[in-house]
Formats: sequence, C-alpha cells, structure tokens
Amino acid sequence: MTTPAIELDAVAKRYWKIQERSLLRSLVPLGPPNRSELWALSGIDLRVEPGESLGIMGRNGAGKSTLLRLLAGVTQPTTGTVTTRGRVAPLLSIGVGFHQEMTGRENVFVNGMLLGLSKSEIEACFDDIVDFADLSEFIDTPVKFYSSGMFMRLGFSVAIHVDPEILLIDEVLAVGDIGFRLRSFDRMRALQRAGTTIVFVSHWVQAIHMLCPRAICMHRGRIEVDGPTETAIARYHELLSTSGESEEMAPVHVVHRELLEADGSPVETPHQETWLSYRVVVRFARPVEGPQFFFRVLAEDGTLAYSMQTTVGDGWRSFPAGSETTAALTFRPRFGGGGTFRITMVVTNDDASVPLLHDQHGPSFFVPPRLGVVGVADLEASVVVDGRPRTDHQALRFENDPAAVEGG
Amino acid sequence: MPVLTLDHRPQSLGAWVGGLWRHRGVLVALARKDFRVRYKRASLGVLWSVAVPLFQTTVMVFIFSRVGRFGSGGAFSYAGFVLAGMVPWLYASTSITSSTTAIVDGSSLTDKVWFPRAVLTLVPPTANLVTLAISAVILVVALPIVGEPFSPRLLLIIPSAGLVVAFCAALGLLLGALYVYFRDLKFMVQAVMLAWFYVTPIVYPAGALRTAGPWLDFNPLTGIAGLFQHAAVGAPMPSHRALVVSLATTLVVLVVAVVTHRRHDRLFVDLL
Repeated sequence: MTTPAIELDAVAKRYWKIQERSLLRSLVPLGPPNRSELWALSGIDLRVEPGESLGIMGRNGAGKSTLLRLLAGVTQPTTGTVTTRGRVAPLLSIGVGFHQEMTGRENVFVNGMLLGLSKSEIEACFDDIVDFADLSEFIDTPVKFYSSGMFMRLGFSVAIHVDPEILLIDEVLAVGDIGFRLRSFDRMRALQRAGTTIVFVSHWVQAIHMLCPRAICMHRGRIEVDGPTETAIARYHELLSTSGESEEMAPVHVVHRELLEADGSPVETPHQETWLSYRVVVRFARPVEGPQFFFRVLAEDGTLAYSMQTTVGDGWRSFPAGSETTAALTFRPRFGGGGTFRITMVVTNDDASVPLLHDQHGPSFFVPPRLGVVGVADLEASVVVDGRPRTDHQALRFENDPAAVEGG
Repeated sequence: MPVLTLDHRPQSLGAWVGGLWRHRGVLVALARKDFRVRYKRASLGVLWSVAVPLFQTTVMVFIFSRVGRFGSGGAFSYAGFVLAGMVPWLYASTSITSSTTAIVDGSSLTDKVWFPRAVLTLVPPTANLVTLAISAVILVVALPIVGEPFSPRLLLIIPSAGLVVAFCAALGLLLGALYVYFRDLKFMVQAVMLAWFYVTPIVYPAGALRTAGPWLDFNPLTGIAGLFQHAAVGAPMPSHRALVVSLATTLVVLVVAVVTHRRHDRLFVDLL
C-alpha cells in the first residue's frame, strides 16, 4: 500500500460563535459567557491516495469548506491530525488573491508567489498561463475591468501551472463559458493522468461525477458516505430532500406533476418497453434566465439509476416572474432487474451553479423484472455455453404474465 | 516532497521562522503592490509621497515657531530639527496604523492559501521603506537650505532608520495579531497616535519641557526621534535612558509578537 497523499486522522474542528468580543468584556470576566461552540467537523477519517480524485458533496454548512481549509493548511484542527504530502495548490477564485487595481500580469506574479512559485518559475511559464486563460489581449488591463469568467480563467490557469501534487478546487468551475469549462475538464483529466491528486468540492453533482470515481458526502461535520460517487450522490440527494427549505420560499415551485404513458393513458404497471412521459408544470416566482432541468431516477435504496439533464450554459430563454412552463421527461424504464423507482427533479440557473428547486416528491413506479435479470441496468446480455444459448428464460414464464413477455 | 502535518499544537518556532523566510518573496511582492497601488491613480504618482510630508512639516514649523514659540535658542535650525523628527514619525505612524489592520484586511487573501500571517503585518513597514528613504533624502537635501552644514554625524541616520523600522515592524506584528481578537484596537491605535505625536519631542526639544522632560524618556519614540535630530542638526543626543527604552521596547515587543504569531498563526483565520 502506498503512502496516502492526504491523511486525516480523527480530525475535529471547533469554532467559537462569538456574539460580542470586546477588550472590556475579555478583561473583565463578568456576566454570562458570550460564546458558544460550533463543531464544524468531527470524527473525520479520510485517506486519499496519490493520483486519486475525490469529490466532496454536502449541503451548505456541512463542513466542506472547513475540510478544504484544513487541507490547504490555512487553519489547524482542534483535535486529530491532518497530513498532506506534496505541494498543495488551492484554486484561487474571484476576489481571492486578486487586486483590482493591478493588471492581470501583476496579479499573475503575486498569485504565483502566494502559491509557492519563485519569480523565475513564473516568468518561465507566464506565456502558457496567459495562453491557457485566453487573455493575451487583456493581460495588461487592471483586473477590475475583467468579467467573472475572465477572473476564473486566470485563477485556474495560474493554479494548474503551479504544477501541484494536490489540487484543491472549490466550486469555481461552475462559472465561465462552456468552452473554457470543457478545456478545464480536459486539463484536469490531463492532471489526473499525470498523477495529480485532486479534491473537488462542488454542488454541481454532474461535474463531480465526471471527474471523480470516489466521493464523500458530508452532513453536519461528518462524513456520511465515502465510496463510489453514485452512492455519495444518492445520499446527497436524500439529504437535499430533507432540507428545511420551504417550498413557498423557493424561486421555482411545482404546480402539477403527472406520470402517463406516452399515449396519454394512465400508468398502471409499466413494462420495460413502455414509453412513459413524466410531465411537470413549474411556476417561476422570480425571473429566471435559462433554467436547467435535471431529472434523476432513483432506485429504492436511493442509488442513482439514471439521470438526464438539459444542456447547460446556453442561456436558451428567460422566464418572467409568475410564468409557468411544462417540462416533460419521456423515457422507457429499461431497468433489467426491475424494482421501484422514484423520479426527482432539480431546477438550476443557466450554468447549473445555483439550485433553484429540489423536487423530491416525484412519482414512484414499479417495473417488473425481465426474466433472469438482476440489477438496475439492462445490458441485453445473452449467455452461450458450449455453443448453445442458455438464456432463454421463457420456460420460467408464469402463465398469464404479460410482463415477462415484453422483455423476452 | 513537502510534508505538512497539522494537529492542535502550535508550530515550532523554527517552523514559523522558516515559513516566514520562505515567504519573503511574497512579502516583497505584496509590499511592491501596496506601494504601487497607493499612488497608481494619482497623476502626480509617487511625488505625493514627497509632497505630503514636506507640506506637513512646513505647517508644523510655521505653527510651532510662531504660535508655540518653540525655538532652538539659535544653536541649530528649528525647521531642520522638526523635519528630522518628522522623518521617523511619519514612517512610524503610517506603518503602525496600517499594520494593525493588515491581517483582518487581508482576510480574502488568506482564506484559501496559507502563508504566515506575519507577512501581512510586515507589508506596511516594508512598503513604507520607500517613503522613509525619500523623506531621508529630502532631509539631507534640505539641510543646507535651512543653514545646517553637512557633517559625519549624518551617517547616524542609517542605524537610526534601522531602529525605527525594527520598532515599527515589531509593534505592527503584535498589534496586527491582537486586532484579530479585539476589534476595538483600531480606534484605540488611532487615538493613541494622535497623543503620541505630542508626547514625542518632534516639534519641541526635550529640554523645553523642564519638569516633564525626563518622563518623555519612557516613550520609545523619544530616543528614535532624538537620534534623527542629533544626526541632522546636531541637537543634543537623547539620554541613555531614552535609548535603552527604545531598544528594550523593540526587543520585548518583538519577543511577545513572535510568541503570539507562533501560537496563533493558523487560528487567526477562524476569527476573520
């Protein structure tokens, strides 16, 4: 077994919530204590091998940022130990490490030095940094004239050119145009191949899914799930569904939902080959630019069985406050092993960075299994043994069972 | 490969000093940025760093020679005396007030990437080295104009400047750390600065206050200002006691500041 790049051992982090802290109050210890403790993290054990990519999910306040701060060495744990092996580079985001009055060029130098490069090292890769950020025209312009996308490109470009052994990414890739985002993904895949350890915190589940085979889901300062990304995502979705967010306050809410067969007839027991149509009418409580719809079909145990989303980031149209629209998901429930499935829906803003609605109250439906198949997927497999097909399960068919015929 | 292990214990003194040394490039880069940004949008640019102290000194000389009737009694130029005292004072007052708030003001920088917070408090004293040098040059150029001949004494300005820089760096280090915990400190420092100017013999010679004079020796800036004034215009050397107080205060403050930073370096961020 190799030495892990990141090792957290029984780590806990306590913050003091301070109502008031004045010189007078601390010198004169009278009256009730004016602070209460808050455990941002507790009992964290985590190991990340060199070259591994780990996604971190969790609702706001779950402890993700505190964990990242510990990894960056910005703060120290209250108990336990945090060990990082290799150069750690956090991805500096908008407003962090940039000075508005200075030009892009000057900021590259200051940022590079903050991340541990020497002046000559920065000079050596300066052109690459500017090229990758696609900012050669604006590099001598004060960054206060930059758009948020330009900031991010420059920050990302500096961070990856630091050539870190451990790259920490916090939520930033959700901004920026689609072209740059794809380039960033390519670059991160290249870093992965080159053996860089990546820790990726995001609410953008799809991005974590694309980059990280392993993920943790955090809740109230603890790691709830540490395992395959799908498992962590499923748990994350469950946690989101228990959120105290009242639907009245949500910027988007569901007016009506129905699950029908494609021809409009009500669904009784769908077969695996039946086209189904899930139609949701949503109302926008405030103006929404280019809303994105994410449909997820969850298995009984909460694992993600299937997910389909609209194309992110093209700002396709805007909806005024008070308007309604219908989103329809048409699909065939080809879950080989069958089971009970539930449809959930997430609506986000155009670049999928801000969730506007988590609808966890979608319909559940039962699909009978295709004969002889177990599991969520249907690979339409057949088995031949000794030259003879051995997977014709018609013989297992019950009398008068139409469901079994469909898959056959 | 750098290996970093963090637990609840404060880092060792060696680790802290080593971290500070490794980040000296950051200090220089930030100080340069600080200095350039300060004058970037002004059409006169760096000239302001000359114009402001010069104007301030002129006002002081005018007011205190006419109204306050302080004079040097003819032994040396009063204008030169005030200008000499203003050089360390302007450096100290601007550096100390900026250092006090440096860690808190720099929180956006330190939220994601670690470097010793001490770097932030050392940025103002470092950036102000440029203005200190400029004002020292002005002082030297102005001496013949106010009728003071050059003398080898002038070389004393160099160690004196070293002392004021060390004092301000140490005090800034300590106040910057304390300000994270006590946010009243900023206003207290502003108020103290106002009074400090008048309890330091800058616009009047220490001897002008007959009974209160010796008490001024316990002000660490008395010795420092006195050294500049002695070097520039040949005013009497500050007393031994004043010099010992300046040196001892610098050392004690530095030790306390280093101890504080070593223990709290990675805890400041929790309170920002």
